[in-house]
Amino acid sequence: MADQTTTAAVPPRAASDEPGLAKGRFSLLVWMSERGVFLFTALLVVVAVVFVNGFASLANITDVFYRAAPIGIVAVGMTFVVISANYLDLSVVAQVATASVILVGVSNTAGFPAAIGLALVVALLYGVVNGLAVGVFKANAVIVTLSTTFIGLGILRWLSGGSIFFGPEDGPIRAFGQAKLGPIPLSALVLLVITAVLWFVLTRTNFGFLIRSFGSNKAATRLAGVNTALVVVGAFVITSLAAMLAGFVLAAFSNTAVSTMSDGYDFSALAAIIIGGTSVFGGKGSVLRTLLGVIFVSVLTNILVLLGIGFGLQQVAIGALIVLAVSVDALARRVGKK
Amino acid sequence: MKLGTEQSGLLGRVRNLAARRTEGRGLILLALVIIVVAILEPTAFTAYSVTLGRVALIGLVALGLTAVILMGELDLSVASTLAVSGVIMASIPDLGLGIVVALAAGILIGIVNAVFVVYVGINSFIATLGMLFALRGLAFVISDEKPVRLSNIDAGIAFGAPLIGPVTPRVLIFIVAFIALQVFLTRVRAGREFYAVGGNRQAAFDAGIPVRRRIFTGFMISGFVAALAGVINTLERTAADPTAGSSVLLASFAAAIIGGVVLTGGRGSVVGTLIGALSLGILQVALTLSGVQTDIQDIFIGSILLIAVITDPTQLRAAAASVRSFFQRREKAQIPT
Repeated sequence: MADQTTTAAVPPRAASDEPGLAKGRFSLLVWMSERGVFLFTALLVVVAVVFVNGFASLANITDVFYRAAPIGIVAVGMTFVVISANYLDLSVVAQVATASVILVGVSNTAGFPAAIGLALVVALLYGVVNGLAVGVFKANAVIVTLSTTFIGLGILRWLSGGSIFFGPEDGPIRAFGQAKLGPIPLSALVLLVITAVLWFVLTRTNFGFLIRSFGSNKAATRLAGVNTALVVVGAFVITSLAAMLAGFVLAAFSNTAVSTMSDGYDFSALAAIIIGGTSVFGGKGSVLRTLLGVIFVSVLTNILVLLGIGFGLQQVAIGALIVLAVSVDALARRVGKK
Repeated sequence: MKLGTEQSGLLGRVRNLAARRTEGRGLILLALVIIVVAILEPTAFTAYSVTLGRVALIGLVALGLTAVILMGELDLSVASTLAVSGVIMASIPDLGLGIVVALAAGILIGIVNAVFVVYVGINSFIATLGMLFALRGLAFVISDEKPVRLSNIDAGIAFGAPLIGPVTPRVLIFIVAFIALQVFLTRVRAGREFYAVGGNRQAAFDAGIPVRRRIFTGFMISGFVAALAGVINTLERTAADPTAGSSVLLASFAAAIIGGVVLTGGRGSVVGTLIGALSLGILQVALTLSGVQTDIQDIFIGSILLIAVITDPTQLRAAAASVRSFFQRREKAQIPT
């Protein structure tokens, strides 16, 4: 069975206790980490509708959907990496940009199927490289994906020359980007479909069960005879495929693609995942919560923009929210253990 | 016979040394870089003042990181600390006061990081990642989203001038910081306890080491050193850029990790970090001199970091174990059929 070296390679994680044991004044903390996002999202939307001038217009809501769709697709995909207790995938920035540049740039010269095929190959490459480094070599996911971000963006900017690619005015990309169902753009429906599929994978399939099991207790999962390397590779591949689709949606939105268009996606996606209540300690969370987190972050960003608050303060606000949400989760977890 | 035992004794000692020291991969990279650069782009050595400046820039941030990584924690916020401290310094008209406030801000950022890690109990990867984003925003807010010019430009120009030979104040500060940290980590009790905290936190705590205070010290060192790098950058360029630091983040991580500082803590050395910074600094300058654009430089440094993080002895052992258990499982699956 598992020999000594394998056991030594992964330090045993403390089993996560059910936070339901907490009592008294700490139960508020636990409640906030468990259910808080529902209340806060509802509150935020109500406040926005009542107090923020220009929020409750059809054009603005459509705009919120347009901006939320690509970030949301990245976030629901990356939820798999976070639940498997691998912190996050920073390289989604490079992946989204690469997919959109390939979709627009390559389809201009080599046709649509070639572009999608190439984007798929690149996405799988990202997922497998990240997954192998983290799953087989047991390297730290933050450092691995930091390095693949720089490698990927470097290659993309080198090959594309940093130029902007424009899709044809009457092409299928533009048609997709402009398509709407009432006030809801097609890209938001894509987000919903992907969320539904990933929800099914995470909660109803064997693979999803292994992801959650690996996230809550790596050692126990391995000792149960699971090929844990394959689980990690799977989590990263799902993230990469989602990032590729997000790149397509993002390119279709503006019918252009450039290597800098996805700056900050790692940050927004992580914010959505964590605010939604998926735990960075792994094992706990769901894609539906992430969807709620996406709504929260998108509405908040939209309010800040409508109020004329600059980019810097938006970053500070959302960064502080990430730290706050993780703190609440960490404290609730500690209370639950006592 | 006698000779043989002596030889095996010597071999054993060499093998012992190789197992104990962690700088091996850094030395291999340094040797490779020096040989390749000496053949293809020897100007990187003749223009050694430029190279030294680059090494000092990468190395300074990497030194602070080393202190934190030795305890098994990580400080991703260094890149934003560098930007924030530079912007703070440039927006205060008085130079001396600006430098003091900027350095104090660095220490404060370190304290905030440590509070989240020690008292709240967040993993330092996530806590400092949140700080990385929040502080980047703060740098934009303070600077109003554009570079801030230093009011005292003469001081900046004087700062960039060499003191003795190729030694600019930046290089001098780096050498002083290197010696100070080396002495602290190998000769001072508090510094030596960093290794104990990183090696086995529970054992360190049981042995009476004030683990929490050591973690605070580590984050304060890395915050201070990153702020120092920000101050030096601002002085040399006579302006502070709120977007500064993202490429430094990658290079300094690569320097510390290829130099043998193990991410899980407890193993590594400042000398290794210096070796890492030397090899990456020489490589970057050689690439720039031979006209390689920054995108391709990013590919090089990123690949080195990726290779460094997966060729750690612990990581290689983990990979070997994965492969072995994979084949064992295959064999077992075949036996019943």
